Formats: sequence, structure tokens, C-alpha cells
Amino acid sequence: MLRIEERKQPQHNKASEKFLSPKKLYLPLSQHTGKPSKPCVKIGDVVEEGQLIAEGDGLISSCLHAPSKGKISSIDTYYHPNLKRAPCIILECSQEPKNYLESKSVDALSKEKLKDIIKNAGIVGLGGAAFPTYVKLNPPKKIDTLIINGCECEPYLSTDYRLMVENLHHILKGAEIISRIIEPKNVIFAVEENSREAIKKINQFKSLKRINLANFKLTVLKSSYPQGGEKQLIHSTVGRCVPPKGLPLDVGCLVHNVGTCFAIYEAVYLNKPLIHRLVSFCGDALISPKNVWVKIGTTLKELFENNVLQSKVAPQKIICGGPMMGVALDSLAYPILKGTGGFLFLSEDVAADEESPCIRCARCVDNCPMNLLPLEFVKLAKKEEFDKLDIFNIVDCIECGSCAYTCPASIALVHYIKVGKKYANNK
Amino acid sequence: MPIISESPHLKSRVKTPYVMKQVIIGLLPAVIASVIFFKYWAVFLILNCCLTAVITESIICKIRRQPLVLNDYSALVTGLLLALILPPSISWYAATLGSVFAVIAGKHLFGGIGSNIFNPALIGRAFLMAAYPKMLTVYVKPFDIDAISSATPLALRKFSHVMTPLNDLFLGNVAGSLGETSAFCLIIGGAYIIIRKIADWRTPVSLLFTTAIIAFIFHRINPTNGSVLFHLLSGGLLIGALFMATDPVTTPITKRGRYIFGIGSAIVIMVIRYWGGLQEGVMYGILFMNAFTPLINRYTKPKRFGT
Repeated sequence: MLRIEERKQPQHNKASEKFLSPKKLYLPLSQHTGKPSKPCVKIGDVVEEGQLIAEGDGLISSCLHAPSKGKISSIDTYYHPNLKRAPCIILECSQEPKNYLESKSVDALSKEKLKDIIKNAGIVGLGGAAFPTYVKLNPPKKIDTLIINGCECEPYLSTDYRLMVENLHHILKGAEIISRIIEPKNVIFAVEENSREAIKKINQFKSLKRINLANFKLTVLKSSYPQGGEKQLIHSTVGRCVPPKGLPLDVGCLVHNVGTCFAIYEAVYLNKPLIHRLVSFCGDALISPKNVWVKIGTTLKELFENNVLQSKVAPQKIICGGPMMGVALDSLAYPILKGTGGFLFLSEDVAADEESPCIRCARCVDNCPMNLLPLEFVKLAKKEEFDKLDIFNIVDCIECGSCAYTCPASIALVHYIKVGKKYANNK
Repeated sequence: MPIISESPHLKSRVKTPYVMKQVIIGLLPAVIASVIFFKYWAVFLILNCCLTAVITESIICKIRRQPLVLNDYSALVTGLLLALILPPSISWYAATLGSVFAVIAGKHLFGGIGSNIFNPALIGRAFLMAAYPKMLTVYVKPFDIDAISSATPLALRKFSHVMTPLNDLFLGNVAGSLGETSAFCLIIGGAYIIIRKIADWRTPVSLLFTTAIIAFIFHRINPTNGSVLFHLLSGGLLIGALFMATDPVTTPITKRGRYIFGIGSAIVIMVIRYWGGLQEGVMYGILFMNAFTPLINRYTKPKRFGT
């Protein structure tokens, strides 16, 4: 794995802020891995905060709730960070915050009931992939180890860290719920060594015996990239290798991000669906990089208009996600999705060097976390011999970008790999 | 409008020119030693080879209508390496010719930087070995460059059964090619490029280790075969192991492959040193394994994650 400059300061050590009063929300129907949700409201409907506005469609899908009280103004195509343009519910908000009270009767809930609550709260993996959480809570095989993922290996981003520092108690409550559903033998909390404050807190909780998890263990991992990737994390914590095309459950593991645990806490204890999340806003084009709680569907434009974010200079590059795997955006019109961990505003494009010939230095090979030969993908993709890509196991590639990061010839390896994968799939 | 491009949006600052510059820095101790030992001969030979390589590169790039890639310093590295593995007393025209040949036949005939199969500097030397065999077997002693020729430690062992003292080998006070006499300077420079992660440690370590084992066995059988340290410190072994066998373009891309490359080269080198007609086999050992690199790559694909 790779050591990268973390660039997490100053947002890392700054208390997170809140912006929960947007005027307009843009809620794409495809917020998650799987089939987009189906709207169950009409234009002109007045909805309450937390009301279901689109329901899950099919086995792997998720539902969507109104993040705020308001009126549905239209259902139309709008900007989507990953899909460019996609169907979207647009909500005009009225500013009436809702209060949530902690329920006391959680212990009495059955496993099935808990699963239903999580499913109906529209919770998806908040680490980035946005895979519907309830699907992962119905494993077809026995899970012996639950891993709580607090490894935020992407540079700049620090939402998981802030969440662990500020809401550890709730994260652990969420983890207890997961633990009640799948009954693992061991629970491992994995964090990177740069999360000092969080490590201290977890140890404190442990010594005060405030953690009710079976065989709870805190594992501190090296800060390296991509430590937070599911397969890498399982390997680093329990030494098991998820087979190619396999899932964590094939080796008896289940990984949930700390943000997801927090969302589960809110859904079960507060009866609050997933309608807001913590997002990192970083980069040198911002006056003050920070973490902010925002409602799902808030656009970047609105954050700037309300002075939640202020730019020093016009950003040359806007990135949705981290710098290693994030998607470059062309405007501020994009909304925040459930799976969005951060936005970067960079004053210059540091990755803009022109490609030079490959010198076969094999830095891409040495740093590939999946043991692949990335330079061969480029060679074959350039020759358009896409059928040979399978020999080099292109399907295994997790597109983490380690190869392109280290390439001294500035070859856009991820680009060639994505093109290659597309053709390999079309065969 | 903001720029759109594929991820990652963050890149390491290590670029090809930087890599090449680090190799040049790694060679500096040997360059300084050569100037101390062989004075103006060293200066002329190094300037000759480097300038020729750079000029040839720019002409070829013009002919091939390629953008001028001099700023990647690779031609400079080729020229410098070639100068360091030639005898100090070589004629200027032979050195010039070798440098031209190294850049054209060693690199551009295969398609330019990154596409060549053999190490260009070694190709240049192999060409001179064929074209001017006499010149490549005549060496002079350091500090005594105007005197008549003197045999190298390897030749002394092979043909006269005379062993050179180890501390002379270590510091470089022996007859030999320009940059390969001082083991001390090469080890410093080699350590530098390995620590800076410019070169991978696997190839040099496996090459030197295998050499040591072979030398140990044969020294046990017959002491006139030379001791382990004698073989490690003499001839072109260190410059070969540290600066030629670590050339990224012509050596394996896989970790296991790099071990095999080192072991294979060491075997060929020692076979030539013991039984060959030549006194030294580093050049052919590495060129031989260069030819096997594609094959090694094919059969040492890393194990798929999770299998």
C-alpha cells in the first residue's frame, strides 16, 4: 500500500458545523448502488420532514425521504455527480425544523423489526459506495467478525474522524444494533494511526466499560492508502483475503463504515431516516476548509450563497469525493448525495502533467493493492486488444488510483483501465 | 469552467526526469572518484560520451519527428553510464562512436525510451568490444595515467594468479574502467538510489548475494579462484548490480522476476569469470538476462489477491 500526504489539516481538528436550512433540495432517485428508487409523490404535494418520497424498487435498491418540510416543485432530470444527469425530485423547503426524541424502548425490538427500520430509513453505506445497508444485514452465510470501518484513507477527507471524535457514543450504539442483528463472535473497530483523538476516545470508552459488543477489539492500522478499502481492511485486520469477485461474507466478515453506524443509531433510536450527513469541504481554494452537517440534496451553490463556504479564488477543479477516487465536476450545481463524503475545491490542477512514455519502472505494480500489473492494461488498451485484458484480471481492479498516483510518466492509468473494463464487459 | 479529468486528482511529484536526475546524483561519487584517479582523461571521456549521447538523442528525435525529450535526462544517463564502464585510455573517436551506437541501436531502434530491450550503455560497450577489442582490454592504473598499461585485478587473477589487496579494490586504487574501480563510491551512490526508492533493492541484492555464494563455493574448492570479497569488489560487478541491473526499462516489472534476474545475471557473470575467454562477464551477464526479461515477466505474474 501507499503512503500519501494526508492534507487533512485544518478540517481534521475543527469541530464540525451545521447547515440545515436550505431553500431548495435536489434529490436524485439514484443515490445508491442498485436500481433507482421510484417516486411516490406528485408535483405539488406538500411533504413533512422525513416523509417517504420515493420507495425502493427491486432487491437491491433503497428508499428516499424528504430531508425537510416543503413542496415538491418538480420531478425532472438534474445534475448527478456520477451519472452526469439523472432523474431527480426537487423540493422547495419551508424552514421548520423538526425535533427528534430518543426512544427508550429499543431493547425490546426484534431482529426483524430492526432490519425493517434500517431498510425503511433508506440507509446505505456512507463510506462512498452507497450500497444498501439492509442487504448486507441479511447475509446468506454466517458472519463471525463485524468490522467497524473508521479508516478514512483518502487525503483531505475527515468526516469519519470528526464523527468518531464527536459522536463515538452513537456510533457504538449503531454498531450494537448491527451486532444484535447478525450476532458476530468478534467486533473489530479499525482506525488508522493518524486518528489520535478517536483512538484515545475509544480506549476511554473501553476502560469505562461503556461498550456492549462481543469480544470488542480496537485495531490501529498504518495510515496508508487504500487502507479503508473493504478487501484491504479485512486483510489488514483479520488477515483474510476476500477471493476475486467474492464478498466479505465469503470470509465471514461484514464491514460497516462509522457513518453508517451513526445513521443506524439515528434511524433506530430517533426514528429519523437518512436525510442528512457530515460532509468534508476542503481544498486550497476555500478560505476555511471544514466539515459540515448538510441535508441530502443540498447543492454546492447554495452552500456558497449562504456563506457556509467561501472561496479564496475561483477553483480550477471541483471534486466530488476524495482526490484519489473522486469525480471532477464542471459546476457548483451538483447536489450532495447519501454517499458523498466530501468535496474538494482546488486552486490548480496538480494532476495536469502531460503523459510521457512508460519507462516500465513498475511503481504501479509495486503499489497495486490487488497485485495486478497496471502497465499491461495500458499497453493492451492502447493497442485496443481488449480481449486480452482478462488474462491480467482487469476485473479485480478497484480503481483506487494508486498506480496513476505513483506513475512518473503521468500516465492516466485509471482512465485506460476504465475504458478497458467497459470494452471487456461489452464483449 | 473547472477542469474535468479522470481520477486520481493528486499525483506524486516523482516524475521521469526526477528519477533520471537521482540516478545521476547516485553516480556522482563514482564520477568524482574517476576524476581524482584518472584526471583529465576522465573529464574528457565523460564529457565526450555525455555530449555525444545528448546530441545524438536530439538529432534522432528530430528525424523521428518526436517532441524533444532531452529534458527527461535519459540520454545523459546513458552517456554517463557508458563513460563509466569504458577504459580511461580509450580513443576519443571510439568513445564517441560507442555513445552514438548506444543511443541509436540501444534505444531508438526499439522505439525510444521505455521500449528498448537491452541496456543502452551496455549495448554501446558491447559494440565497442566487437569493433575495437584491443582498446577495451588495455587499462591503466590510477594516478599513473601516462604510464604503460596495467592489468585489471580480474585479469591478474585469471591470467597471472596474482591477487589484488582488498583495500585497494575497495577504495579503487586499481586498473579498470573509469567508474568501476572504487567499490566504496559505488556503494554510497547505490545505497542512495535504493534508499530514495529510485531503484528496487531486490535485483542488486539477489545478484550480489548469488555472486557471493558462487564465489564462496569455488573459493573453497580452489583458493586461486578468488575470495568472496574479491569477486564482489572487483571489475564491473558493483556498477552493474547497482546501476545497470536496476535500469527500470530493461529489467523485470515483477518482484519475483527481479530476484530471478539477479540470480541469472550472477550465474552468467561467474561462469564467464571462471571459464570464459574474457576476464569480466558483467556486461554479458546483464545483457543476457535483459533478453530474458519479457519471458521472466510472463512467468512471474504476481499472485492474484485473494487466491
